[in-house]
Order: sequence, then C-alpha cells, then structure tokens
Amino acid sequence: MSPFLGPLDPDGRVPPRQQTRLSAFLLSAHGAQARQLAVALPWSLKNGWQVELHSQYCREIEIISLIGRSTTWVADPALPFMIWQWETAWLPGLAQGVADQSLALLIDLAAFGHAVHSVIRPAALLPEFEPHNNAFALAMKRIEFESGRLMQAQIFFLKSQQLVPVRDAVSAAVERRHRQVRELWDAMLEGMEIATSGRHNLAPAYQLKSAMAAIPTKIIESAKQ
Amino acid sequence: MPWLSCNSRRIHYELAGPIDGPACVLVNGLTQYVKLWHPLRDALVARGFHVASFDMLGQGQSDKPSLFIDQSDQVDVLAEIIAKLGERPIFVAGISFGGVIALRYAIEHGDRIAGLVPMSSFAEVPSQLYRLGAAMRTGLTLGGTSYLQDLLFPMNFSSEWLEDKGYLIELATHRGWLINDVYALANLMESFLDFEPLTAQLASISTPTMILTGEYDFLTPRKLQDSLRVHIPNSAMVILPRAYHAFTLEKPELTAYLMARFAEDVIAGRWPGNRTVWVGPEQAGGDLTAFPAEFDHLRSIPVRKETPEPAHTERATAS
Repeated sequence: MSPFLGPLDPDGRVPPRQQTRLSAFLLSAHGAQARQLAVALPWSLKNGWQVELHSQYCREIEIISLIGRSTTWVADPALPFMIWQWETAWLPGLAQGVADQSLALLIDLAAFGHAVHSVIRPAALLPEFEPHNNAFALAMKRIEFESGRLMQAQIFFLKSQQLVPVRDAVSAAVERRHRQVRELWDAMLEGMEIATSGRHNLAPAYQLKSAMAAIPTKIIESAKQ
Repeated sequence: MPWLSCNSRRIHYELAGPIDGPACVLVNGLTQYVKLWHPLRDALVARGFHVASFDMLGQGQSDKPSLFIDQSDQVDVLAEIIAKLGERPIFVAGISFGGVIALRYAIEHGDRIAGLVPMSSFAEVPSQLYRLGAAMRTGLTLGGTSYLQDLLFPMNFSSEWLEDKGYLIELATHRGWLINDVYALANLMESFLDFEPLTAQLASISTPTMILTGEYDFLTPRKLQDSLRVHIPNSAMVILPRAYHAFTLEKPELTAYLMARFAEDVIAGRWPGNRTVWVGPEQAGGDLTAFPAEFDHLRSIPVRKETPEPAHTERATAS
C-alpha cells in the first residue's frame, strides 16, 4: 500500500472516488466543529480564548465551503454508513473527572477540535513531486495549513491557567479524542488502501541516491507551475 | 523495526554496529528523526561502535503526546535505551535539544555512562535564545513545519553545503514536513522554553565530557557551550572549524573521528578533562590544537584575555 493518494489521472488530479471519500470525512469532522462552536460561543465574548474560538468558527465555515466546491464528487455507496459512524463519534461529551459540567463539555469540545486539527493531515496524502495546482490539491493544502493555526485556539484554552487544577482530566480528554479521530481517519484511509504510517518509512532526502537525478527536474517543474 | 515502551509511550529506536563494541547513544535535536543520524551512525559503526538512536518523544515515529511533554519523560526514554545496552562502556552524545537531555541524564545517572558528548548544546536559556526559540515557535504555528525548516536550514549549515546540496533542500524540507507534526513540535519546543537552568547542577557531572561546538554556530553561541566547560569538572571543549549548528550532518566523519578519540582516551583512562579549549582538525585524522591561551576563545576577533590561563601544551586527547 502507498502512503499517498493516487494513482493520479493524466492531468495530475486525485481520482474522484478518493476525493469524495476524503472530502466526506473532512466535511463531517469540520462540519461538527462548526456546529459545536456555533452552539458553544456566547453572543457576547468575555474571554480571550472565546475570541480565538470565534475566529475558528469562521474559518471552519470557510473550510466547509472550500471542500464542497473543490471536490469532484461521485456516488459512493459506502458513505451513508461511514458518515453515520463519524457523526456518532463527533457527538459532544463530558470530559471525565471535571465536576463542572459546562466546563467538562467545553474541554471535550476543545479536545475534539485539537484532535481534528492535529491528527487529520490531508495535504500529507498528496503524492510527492507531482504538480498540485488543481483546486482539490490546493484545498487540501489550505485545510492542513489552516489547521496548524486553528488548533492554537484549543491549545490556548486547554493549557490555560483556568484548567491547571484539572490538567490530568484535560490530558485524558485530549488523548481520548486523538485516539478516536485517529482510528476513524486511519480506517477511512485503509478503506482506500492508503498506508497510514507509510510516510514515516520514506527515506530522508540525502539517502535517495538513485532518485536524485530525477527529483530536481520534477521539483523545478512543480515550482514553475 | 524495534520499539520500546516507556511510561506507556511507544518509542522507536534503532541499533547498529558490532555487538561487542563500546556503545554510543545518539539523542536528536528539533525536527530530527533517527534516519538523519545515519551518516554519523555509519561513521561510528565503521570505527567499531555499537550505535543506538531513537526518535525523541514528539518526533519521528515515537508517540507524540498531544498537549504536554516533560523533559523528564525524555530522560526516562534515554534511560530505557541505555538499560538495553547492557554492561559495556556507554557514551551518550546529544545535539542541541538532545544535548540538554543528555546533560540531564548525566546529572541524574552519570555513573551509568563512560562519557558524555554535548554537541551544539546548552544548559540555560538566556534572553537571546529564549526569544529566538519563542519566535521559532510562533513561526511554526503561523507558518507550519516547512517555515520552521526553511528557517533552520541556513542556521544549521554552511553556504557551501547548502549550495552543494541545494537540489535536495526542497525534498528534505518536504520529507521533514511529512514526518513531523506541528502540535508535537510545538509541545517539544515549549518543554525547552520553560525549563529551569541546569547550570547549577553541572558541577555534579563527574563523567568525562567532551563538548563539541561549531566555530560558526550562532543558534547556540559558544558562550552557552562554554558554560558547560566551565561548570563540568571533567570536561574539555573542542571547536570544530567552519562548522555550524548541525555539524553531525555536514561533518559526520570528523564528528565520528573526534568521538572515537574521546572514547579511546576515556577507556584507556587518559582523558585529561581539565576544562581546556581545543580547535579540532579540518578533516578526520588530523590533530587537535590548543586554543591560544592568551586569547579569548569567546570572541570572534583576537582579543587578549585579561587574565591568561596557563598555556595548554598537551593535546586534549592522547595519541
């Protein structure tokens, strides 16, 4: 199994079936984020982390729109069951070991956001050295890049002084959400015969003696486009 | 592919080289992973070392704690790796962040190792390094792993090396981005920005220590590494000519040569460890030169010391 999407079509595009499956997962996860943030955010913002979360809510809406418009959608009979499975997993819960229920809910919400933005790396699935100038590939890059920024809202809250007394409960909640998101993400990828840990087995650049002659040309071509 | 479990975390490690040789454990720096040790590892194996390397918690294939990484967890991992090596002379070499972990290990368990080699390392985070680290962390979160790597490449290597390997830089950046995760790197950086200085504890290290520093290392300036020399009693510092921060990748043969000399001297009981300062050779196989005693080795221009130390006429390591 390859750690990357593909094989790409002659125009360098990811096959529509893979686009559909991947985008459905992203829509489900980011859609859940947007819905939960919409409910959790008060009309009047009082704390600094709420400002970050408001920004995140707006970015999630952008991501959802981007996925919907950049994907070449095809029918996928397996999707209804998978979406039900994903949506069930994303349902809000209470972080264990936190007496204040509204705080426990917020911690779980932030833990889920942290997991979505750190575990899910769609751009890392794009094949190396291929031109990624089509809408879907660029959307995947944009989503992953934004995720790195967006998770700062969760980190800001989850590492805040306010939560120091319940730090163990916070860590446990984040680990639980990470595990959950990773299991579903890996299962979705394996369903498309994509190796989930394959990228770690790639040789570092300096070891690629045989490929060195070919790589620069491709990189240069890619950079020109 | 070998794995070990430490405090419920899964750690990826590699062993190479002759089973009966002295052991060397390599502790990586930021954005590194075990495969980036291969040039130095192979050079050490060729010199008879049994080499262990591992992915630090939060990097490579090892587990990546989601929110918090404590430096003591990294020390525990190093202790587990060392325990696997059995009874033999064990040398621990760590670069940059990895050097801090190696220092902490030597403070806590120095009796278990034969020698210590902090490379491009530090025991405290003064304002300059703190602000640099904090800016790098901000760069990581705003610009992603690739931005951090773009920043680190020119800090870590010479222009000559970058020009020679130019066609590989983009690929190397991409591979580094694939393997590393933003949140895990950020956690790792925070664990080093928040730590308490080790300087006061360095005097408790009795292990023979060779401090390796690059002549042009401006990421961790010589003053930081000289603090290790001043406070670790059984130490000497070797300045690698024309070397930058990541000389283990740029000059693996020279680094392995110096480490092998150090190990030979320690095992033979002739490591002087008199806090001397030396200039390393340009190439593996060359001699070390005592830094002129009348000049200040912390300056980039030849400034005479106010109180010259006695001239060092002997070599840091014996023939």
